[in-house]
Amino acid sequence: MRNAIAIAKKELNIYFATPIAYVMFTLFVVIGSYFFLRLLGAYEQASMMYMRFNQPDIMNRLNFQDAIFRNLFGNLGVILIFIVPFLTMRLVAEEKRQKTIELLYTTPITPSQIVWGKYLASLAILVCALALTLTYPLLVQFVAKDANGVEWRSVLLGYLGLFLMGSAFMAIGLFISSLTESQVVAALITFVVLLMTWIIGWTAQEAEGWVRDFVTYLASVSHLDSFSKGTIDLKDIVYFLSIIILGLFATNRAVESHRWS
Amino acid sequence: MIEVSHLVKSYRDLKAVNDVSFKVEKGEILGFLGPNGAGKTTTMRMITGVLPPTSGSARVAGFDVFEQPMEVKRRIGYLPETPPVYTDMTVRAFLKFVAEIKGVGRKQRESEVAKVAAQTNCDKFIHRVIGNLSKGQRQRVGLAQALLGDPEVLILDEPTVGLDPAQIIEVRELIKSLAGKHTIVLSTHILPEVVATCQRVLIISQGKVVADDTLQGLQKAHAGQATADGQIGPMPSLEEIFLKLTSA
Repeated sequence: MRNAIAIAKKELNIYFATPIAYVMFTLFVVIGSYFFLRLLGAYEQASMMYMRFNQPDIMNRLNFQDAIFRNLFGNLGVILIFIVPFLTMRLVAEEKRQKTIELLYTTPITPSQIVWGKYLASLAILVCALALTLTYPLLVQFVAKDANGVEWRSVLLGYLGLFLMGSAFMAIGLFISSLTESQVVAALITFVVLLMTWIIGWTAQEAEGWVRDFVTYLASVSHLDSFSKGTIDLKDIVYFLSIIILGLFATNRAVESHRWS
Repeated sequence: MIEVSHLVKSYRDLKAVNDVSFKVEKGEILGFLGPNGAGKTTTMRMITGVLPPTSGSARVAGFDVFEQPMEVKRRIGYLPETPPVYTDMTVRAFLKFVAEIKGVGRKQRESEVAKVAAQTNCDKFIHRVIGNLSKGQRQRVGLAQALLGDPEVLILDEPTVGLDPAQIIEVRELIKSLAGKHTIVLSTHILPEVVATCQRVLIISQGKVVADDTLQGLQKAHAGQATADGQIGPMPSLEEIFLKLTSA
C-alpha cells in the first residue's frame, strides 16, 4: 500500500507538472458550464411560462433535480467520455516509451502496486474534476435561498454515479494505456471504446425484447441516469464495479506480462 | 555475490545470449565488454530481473532472480542503457520518489537523496526539471538513482556515456571508491575505463563468453610468441585482445 501511494504521488506530481490536468479541468468546466447555463435558461423559461398561464399544479412539479441536475449529470457523463482518454493515455504507455518501466521493474514493488498507484492517481484527478462542478448546485442553492431548493441527497447520489462511471472509464483507459507504447494510440482507442459504451444505448431504442434489455444494460450512460434520478440500484453498482475490477485485473496482467514479450 | 549459470535468451531463432556463465565475488568490479549487439545489455537485464531468461539462472546474494525477485531487487541498483528518468519531474522529486519505492525510511530519505546527489554532482541542478537537462546531466541523475538505498550490487550499463572528460574521471573515481563495499558490474565501450577501474574483465561476443580473467591474466594469455631465446613477447594492450577475441 505504501508503495502504491508512492506511485500515486509521483503520477499526481507529473499530472500537475504538465498542462494536461489543467487543460482537461478547464475543458470539463467550460463545456459543463455551457450545458448548465442552457439548462438553467430552459428552466427559467418554463417557470415563466407556467406562471403566465397560471398553472400551479405544473409549477409544483417543476423542480431543480428533474429539470436541471438530472440532465446536467447526463451531460457531464458524456463529457467524461471525451476527457478521460487524455487523462489515462500517459499512465503506462509513457513509462514503456521512456523505458522508466525498467526502473519500476528493478525496484522492490509489485505490478499490482504499480497498477493501484496509477489508478488511485487517476481517481484523485477525477474527484478534482467533479469537485469543480459542485459550483453548479451551490450556485443554484445560493440563488434559490430556499431550504427545499436543491435536493442535496439526489445531487450527491448523482455525483456518486458520475464518480463510479468515471472510475470505470479510468479503469478502461488505464488498461488500454498498458497495451501500447504510444499515448496517441492509447487515447484514440480509449475514446472509441468509451464512445461505444454510450452510443450502443441508441440501438436499444430500435431493438426489442431481450436484446433491448441487454443493450440497455451494456450502455454506460443509462446506468448513470438512475443515480441522477436519486435512486441506487444494485445492478448499476454491479455494472460499474465489474468494469473497474475487470479493467484493473487486465492492466495488472498486461504490466506483468510486458517483460515476457 | 552474483552467480550466472548457463544463461540463454533467444528471440525466435536468434540467440542473443548463448550459455553465459560467470561469477562475481563480493566487492569486485567486473568490466563487461563486447561489441555492439553482443548481448551485454540483455545479460544485465536478465540479472536485474527485467527480462526473463529462456533458460539458465542468475543468483544475486544467494537469491534466485526469478524465484525470489523481491529479495534481489532490494539489493540491486541498476542503471540501464537509457537513464530511466521522468522528464517532467525535478531531479529532487524524482530521487525522492525512487528512494521511497526502494524502501528508504521517511526520515533518512532527505539525507540519502542529498548524499547521492553530492556523490554524482547532481546537487547543482537538483531543482531543475529533468527534461531540461543535458544528456550528461541526465546520465548522472540515472547513476544517482542507482546508488539510492545503498544497494550491495550495482549493475551499470555504460555509465559514462554522454559525459565530458572531467565528469568521466569523476564517475570513474566514484565507481572505484564504491568497490570493496559494493559489487559492481560495469559495461562499457571505453577500454581505458576498464583498465582504470576494473579488477576483472569479461568479454562476450555474439552471446558467448570469450574471455573471463583478470587484466594481467588476459595479457599473459595473449602475449606474443616467445622469441627464440625464451623471452616473452610484448604484452598486448586490452584493445588488441578485445579486437582479437571479438573479430572471430
